[in-house]
Amino acid sequence: MFTRKRAVLIYLLPGLLGLTLFYIVPFVGGVWYSLTDGSYKNAFVWLDNYRNIWKNQMFLLGLKNTLLLSAICTPLVWALSFGVSVLLNRLKPGGAFFRNSVLMPYLMPSSAMLLIWLVLFDYGGGVNRIVQALGFARVSWLEGAALRIPVILMFVWKNLGFSVVIFLAALQAIPEPLYEYARLEGAGFFRQAFHVTLPMVVPSAFLVFVLSWINAFKIFKEVYFIGGAYPDESVYTLQNYMNNMFGKLNYQNVTTAAYSFALIVFAIFGLLFLLQRRLLKNLS
Amino acid sequence: MRIGRRRHIPARAALAAIALVVLLPVFLTALYSFFSPGEIKAFMETRGSFDAAKWMEIKLAPRVFSLSQYYNILIEDVSVLKFLINSAMYAGAILLGQALVIPAMAYALSRFRFPGRDLIFFAVIMLMLLPFQVTMVPNVLTLRSLGLLNSAWAVILPICFAPFYIFLLRQFMVGLPREILEAAEIDGAGTFRCFVHVALPISRPILGAAVALSFADCWNLVEQPLAYLAEQPRLLPLSVMFNQLTETSSGVEFAGAALYILPALFVYLYFQKDILSGIQLTELK
Repeated sequence: MFTRKRAVLIYLLPGLLGLTLFYIVPFVGGVWYSLTDGSYKNAFVWLDNYRNIWKNQMFLLGLKNTLLLSAICTPLVWALSFGVSVLLNRLKPGGAFFRNSVLMPYLMPSSAMLLIWLVLFDYGGGVNRIVQALGFARVSWLEGAALRIPVILMFVWKNLGFSVVIFLAALQAIPEPLYEYARLEGAGFFRQAFHVTLPMVVPSAFLVFVLSWINAFKIFKEVYFIGGAYPDESVYTLQNYMNNMFGKLNYQNVTTAAYSFALIVFAIFGLLFLLQRRLLKNLS
Repeated sequence: MRIGRRRHIPARAALAAIALVVLLPVFLTALYSFFSPGEIKAFMETRGSFDAAKWMEIKLAPRVFSLSQYYNILIEDVSVLKFLINSAMYAGAILLGQALVIPAMAYALSRFRFPGRDLIFFAVIMLMLLPFQVTMVPNVLTLRSLGLLNSAWAVILPICFAPFYIFLLRQFMVGLPREILEAAEIDGAGTFRCFVHVALPISRPILGAAVALSFADCWNLVEQPLAYLAEQPRLLPLSVMFNQLTETSSGVEFAGAALYILPALFVYLYFQKDILSGIQLTELK
């Protein structure tokens, strides 16, 4: 550890300057916008903007869809990636090919995948062929509420691999003797899973959950690709609302919406954090 | 080994099925880029028919193997290529900016003791947790007062300080063995030499992972250009243009997509080991 003061500044300054300039200062300063009315007098209106936005239909629709989509995507990515990494862990030391192919979409631009998505999810496309082969009626995936499915699948397709890598690292860090000991004590597969694997992966599981939720909160790309710039109501997200307000130069609404959403995000993460601490205490 | 291989047949089968589904879209995109534009155009026009008796064809081989989609994009009509160059410009500028700022800051946060360090790190974590819809607002306020909206800088500058990568690198550097850096100091290396010649080389896995992940982000920019470049359609990267490309099929869109995937694929193949080991070695909790 170095303690020379001047040297620190050289390393820290560029980054700190940027963070302060682009994130921290305007974040605090923006509160002012959310409390004023934006007229030429710019009168101070206390919490009126917040009261108004919580009655605004489009904001509520965007908020609802963003929360709904992220609440579907996150557990889906979480559970799938856990399953895949357990399978991969059983193959060790092999399985590199499978691991690499699951990770690949994380680096792929999903924008370029739009074309093939439109082809596969068309009314006469490959997905509907499978649906019909399974004995169900065809679905028009690219309209109405069904639009959510291709959007969610594109999100899962892209983000699965990153979670798999984190889970896999956690699983491989569990020392093998722990299992041997458990087996000697007469623990079967399920008891091993519950009493050895589970407590060892809880911190990583929590991390994966939070990281994929952070990711899922900003779900918009997939909506923009598949649903277009003015999507169906069922996939109208908060980002659509923000872009719309931003286009109208309505900074009062933009800031108010952003801070309202920030409060919700922090409330959710706070809850998750408490839950994880409780869970860890119970397990140990 | 051989016995082990046989034992895991169900796991292998399940993983093979998953890998197939995951790789299929990429494979099909690459395949369709070798169809002739006429064939693709006709194929794309069969979309959107709600006639229950009709299917889109399943095309697994082109009638004629053709490179004319690529020829079209690269030589005849360079409008797609221009957007591709925009994308490359953004990715290059952002990665360069991040390289100048982020490792140094992560190094300071992990290896120095100074007042306010924990506060700065706390702010980084909080910013990292916030979704783009929220952080875009402070960004916009600054960009507006600097008069940078509707210029390429609006997209580039805020991402150069992306909190997630500061966090990622800091977490890795905290875990570096202290002895190595101390040994270098005793040998007379200043902080700068310690940083450039010792800390950076042994951080190679996480640097590679960060470059790859950040490239993937830059290559898939959507939110920022849509919000900041609304009045400057010339400056848009290709990632936001695929919508327009598909609305009226010109028959060359699959080659555009394939060309767009290619750099990402190279980056992935080159850095895939770093991504895996970088994430495994980082204390992320």
